[in-house]
Order: sequence, then structure tokens, then C-alpha cells
Amino acid sequence: MEIVALQVLNSLFYAAVLFLIAAGLSLIFGVMGIVNMAHGSFYALGAYVTAWSVGAAAATLPPAALFIFLLLGAIAVALVGLMIEPTLIRPFYRRQEEYQLLVTFGLLLVLEDVIRLLWGGTPLTASGLVDSLGLVRIGGLPYPVYNLLMIGVGAVAALALWAFVYRTKFGVLLRATAQDRRMAAALGIDVGRIYALAFGLGCFMAGLGGAIVVPSQAAVLGMGVEVLVIAFVVVVIGGLGSLEGALVGALIVSALRTITIQFWEEFELAALYLIAAIVLLIRPTGLFGRRA
Amino acid sequence: MNLLRTEALKKHFGETRAVDGVNFTVNEGEFLSLVGTNGAGKTTLVNLISAFLAPDSGRIFIGDRDITHASVEERIRAGIARSFQLVNLFDDLSVLDNVALAIFAREGKTKRILALAERDAAVTREASDLLGEFGLDGKSEGRAGGLAQGERKLLDVAVAYALRPRLLFLDEPTSGVSTRDKAQIMDTVSAVVRGGGITAVVIEHDMDVVFKYSDRVVVMHEGRFLADGPPGEIRQNSDVAKYLLGTDV
Repeated sequence: MEIVALQVLNSLFYAAVLFLIAAGLSLIFGVMGIVNMAHGSFYALGAYVTAWSVGAAAATLPPAALFIFLLLGAIAVALVGLMIEPTLIRPFYRRQEEYQLLVTFGLLLVLEDVIRLLWGGTPLTASGLVDSLGLVRIGGLPYPVYNLLMIGVGAVAALALWAFVYRTKFGVLLRATAQDRRMAAALGIDVGRIYALAFGLGCFMAGLGGAIVVPSQAAVLGMGVEVLVIAFVVVVIGGLGSLEGALVGALIVSALRTITIQFWEEFELAALYLIAAIVLLIRPTGLFGRRA
Repeated sequence: MNLLRTEALKKHFGETRAVDGVNFTVNEGEFLSLVGTNGAGKTTLVNLISAFLAPDSGRIFIGDRDITHASVEERIRAGIARSFQLVNLFDDLSVLDNVALAIFAREGKTKRILALAERDAAVTREASDLLGEFGLDGKSEGRAGGLAQGERKLLDVAVAYALRPRLLFLDEPTSGVSTRDKAQIMDTVSAVVRGGGITAVVIEHDMDVVFKYSDRVVVMHEGRFLADGPPGEIRQNSDVAKYLLGTDV
């Protein structure tokens, strides 16, 4: 029974990370209509920046203070996104989708190489953050308090994002722009600024995902591509462009992954793709996607 | 006093003279109907005035200010607003947010990034009050896409009205709705517009509606003005009867 409880918690922790990534991916697609192939690389960048800055500051700052680097890592990624959108992405809005896919795929390769150039091939860790919070006993079995905290962070992020999109003035402008760019511009909305902010916010979410995962797993080369594939499975199941879909998709994928790893490890990815294929066959727009 | 004036305004599409040297005036405070058969040039004229099309030649003034080359935004700020022939609402947004968006646009709040991340209580209150005036207060939290056709028309006018224009263009506010809804929409629109002291130009096909609600009627035919006068005079005009009503007086 304790094992089941721990697996549920593991699943929720993984769902929190997946939600952050998939929600960013969905937000960018929903507002700008861009499928961002480089999204996983922003997640990896968040992980590397956080692990590197925690490592650099660990000798001088108390462990509790190091948690601020989780947020700073995400903010750094958002700033990179805010610089990339107007320079690299914006010139391609009026082009066909293939060009947008190509430019974001190119960006993925560039970011992977930038990470390799800056931090080399050795994995970076920030496990001191997990150690500093210690363990809690769940039915006699030890479980990292850090993971529990990050499940909470994921839940708060989901609520905050929902409130931001559906309960603020910025959210109204964002959704109006997503629905009809021309009409929004006619009403005096600065569409370019909304796009830049949406892209920055999407990158922040990906960066936060990377930042919260790196203390429990190391930052390694290729982690961005690996997570991008899973994030696409999440948005295929939930519906690309839907925040609710990202949440439900993340919960389904993480639960499925936890179950298959427990009982039939070799089947892990196959099970995910199978579910994605079934959803595509039965409901091509995903569980929460709207028909075009 | 003239609120709007055009001088020899011209827009041709190839051989088609959609608007052909039109001198159009709208007086402060009047409820004017612009009528004509399909292709007469009414919507093109309104598109030129609201900056959705650029004229080939001619000039447009609001008061004494030349707005011929002003952007849509600048014209909104100068006091021109319009509703759309094919209702152009943000269907995924709530009814309230559609109106709130127009208020943000009017106040220039779509520009101020730091002011964006909070809910503006004053805007919400104004949007609610305005929906009340248009009889849509019970629908404010629902999606605009879920409204009935007549309600969509009213919301469309409410959105344009929320820009607090001096001059409001209404492009076929009663098209595609039942006769019963037509009367309700026009009663509401007329009451709100006249109550707010707003000058209105309505493009309308239904002559019963035109004659009942207008102070002045301008008739267009093949890009030019065929007649211009009070409803009683237009009703008796033989050219109007021939070209527009298909009858002889």
C-alpha cells in the first residue's frame, strides 16, 4: 500500500513538471499558432541555468536561500524567449507552417549546442536542494520532502496560469489576440507585444519545469529533445492550445508512465504512443481541443 | 454643424466605381440611414471612413480635422466606431469581456503593460452597466459564441458603443434576424444612441426600419448619391422608388 502511495506521489511530481512544459507549449500554439520545436530546449536551459547557479552559489549561501535560483532559472529562460521571439520567430508568422517548424527546429539544434558550449557534456546536478529538505516517512517508507513541495508548486502554477489567462485584463487581450489577430489589432491591441509576452510566458513555464526537475534529476545533454516528445504526447491527448488539456494530459501521461515502469518497463514509451494514437483516431483535436 | 464630411471621395475596384466622388456630410446628433441596393457602395463608403480601405482620391474630415490618412486606431480616438456587417465578435470570450476589451481599447489600456496584469474593477462595472442598457445583463458571463443571432447583433452594437464614439456606424444591425427581433434591436439601439447623444449612421435594407427610425436618409446608387433628405421626402422620391423599391410613386 505504501508503495502505491509513493508511486502516486511520483506520478504527481512528474505530472507537475510535464504540465509546466506542455502548458507553455500549448499557450504559445494557442496564441501564436506556432508549434515550438525548441520548447524542450528551453526546459533544458532552465535545468542547466538553475543547476549551474545553485552550484556556483552553494558555497556562499545557506541551502534555504538557494531555492530562489529555481525562480531565477525560469526568469532567465523567459528573458531568452523575450529576445528570441521578435528576432527569430516574428519574421515567420506570415510564412507557411513548414517554415515555422524549420526555424524552431533550427533553434532547438542551436540551443542544444549553446548548452554543450557553455556547460560541456558533464551532467550538472543541484541535489543539495533535495538533501536540504530531507525525507518524510509515508507509511514507513522515506520520500523526499522536495518532491512534495514541487507537486505543490505545480498545482499553484496551474492555478496561477488559469487565473492569469481567464481572470486578468492581460488574459482578455491574450485570448482576443489568439482568436482574431486582425480584429484585435483593429481595437488597438499591440499584437506584437502580446505575442512576445505569450512566448516569454511559455518559455518561463518550460524553464520552471526544468528548474524544479534538476534537483532530483541531473541536467544532461539531450534532455530537451526527450521531454519534447513526451510533451507532444501530452498535448495530443489533452488538445493543443488548451490549458485544461495540458493539465489532464500531463496527469494521464505521468500515471500511465508510472504504471508501465512499475509493471512492464520496456513498454513505457510504446504505451504512451499507443494512447496518443488512440486519442488521435477517436478525437483528433484531443480531449479538450476545439475543432478548427 | 457637420460632424463628418467627405470631399469627392473615390474608390474604384477595376471597372467598378464603388464610391465615385462622393460628398457626404453627417450632422451632429442625427440618426442617419444610408440605403441602396447591393453593390451601391454603402459598405465601401463606411470602410473608407473607418480606415478599412484607403481611398483612391478625395478627403475625409471629422470636424475640421483631416483624417484621410489616419489609422483605424487614430480614427477610434477621433471618435469614429463601427459595428460589422458580418458580426465580428470574439466568440471565445465572455459577453462581458467583449465589451471590456472595447473599453480597454478606448482608454488606451491595451498599451500599458504594467497595468495589464490585474482585473480593472471600473472597466468591469462600466461593461456591466452598458450590457444592462442593451438588455444583455443576464448574459454577461456566457460565451459570446453562445448568443442567439439577435443578441449577437446587440452585443456587436454594444461593443462599438463602448468605444464612446461621437459617430457610430452600424452596418446592417438587423440583417438575418426575425421581424420581431428587428423591432427590439432597433428600439434598443435607437434609445441608447439617442440617449447617449451619439450621432449614428445606419446601413439598412429594411425600408420600414429606415423610415421609422431615421432623421435623414441618404440613398446610394452605383457609387453616387441618388437622394438625400428626411424620410417623408425620400418616400415620395420617384428615382428612389424606381431604383430602390422597384415601384413607381
